Amino acid sequence: MSTARAEETTLVQLLAAGERTAFEQVYRKHNSSLIRVAVGIVRSRATAEEVAQETWIAVLKNICGFEGRSSLASWIFSILINKARSRAKRDGRMVSFDGTGEDDNLAAAFDGRGRWKDIPELWEVLTPERILEGRSVMDHVNTAIEALPPGQRSVIILRAQQGLGAEEVCAILGISEGNMRVLLHRARLGVRAALDGLM
Amino acid sequence: MLSCQEVATRASALIDGELSTWEGLQMRLHLAMCKGCERFIGQVRTTRDLTENLTAADTHEEADDGRISEILSKLHEEKKQGG
Repeated sequence: MSTARAEETTLVQLLAAGERTAFEQVYRKHNSSLIRVAVGIVRSRATAEEVAQETWIAVLKNICGFEGRSSLASWIFSILINKARSRAKRDGRMVSFDGTGEDDNLAAAFDGRGRWKDIPELWEVLTPERILEGRSVMDHVNTAIEALPPGQRSVIILRAQQGLGAEEVCAILGISEGNMRVLLHRARLGVRAALDGLM
Repeated sequence: MLSCQEVATRASALIDGELSTWEGLQMRLHLAMCKGCERFIGQVRTTRDLTENLTAADTHEEADDGRISEILSKLHEEKKQGG
């Protein structure tokens, strides 16, 4: 068993035993991402916080039944997605993650032969701490992610920020791997466009 | 030869190492001759690195302690009610 897997098994046992410090560790690692993903689905920060709270209660109630077939993070996010989707449905909305009808907003940048109309600028070095228009680059990145459609937003948070594997993300969101790659690419292009506007 | 638009469409696949040898070769051939695409790929790479940077740091908000207590208290209530 790998070290990471062994550590997770121990963590799950501590959660099952009701150890508060173990819960604090898991909560601090995932809660802000849970809320970010949920906001994209339920469209309200307050509702997203409620959904995240319901998710944590469900996690702790059912942790004894967690069999480790997926990672703990993957399991937690699956619960969140189900709860957020149910809440959106109750509010009369269906949420799809497949990105149907979305494009990458790049087509207008090319002429009829697929060449750049205007050559992209050479960006200066962008470090996370750098300040642009009074805010850190990471603040701008966060804001750009929050403006993405639910599928793109969920994929970039789960893949890039939570570091989940492609298969896990596809299973959580119920999308194909090809679809997931397209959503990740579009999400990056959305964030890139926001940063490009600041340069 | 790939167009700039085709290169842009494959930007993430290139930086994530998901292209076949042949596709990768075609991309590199184009990039060797196209300043615009070279800059664009650099921008997408920077964006990927920044979005991955958001990650790992665990949050530690002051309000967390209160929220954690609230969750544990609700859990306790639900268990008491047999939920």
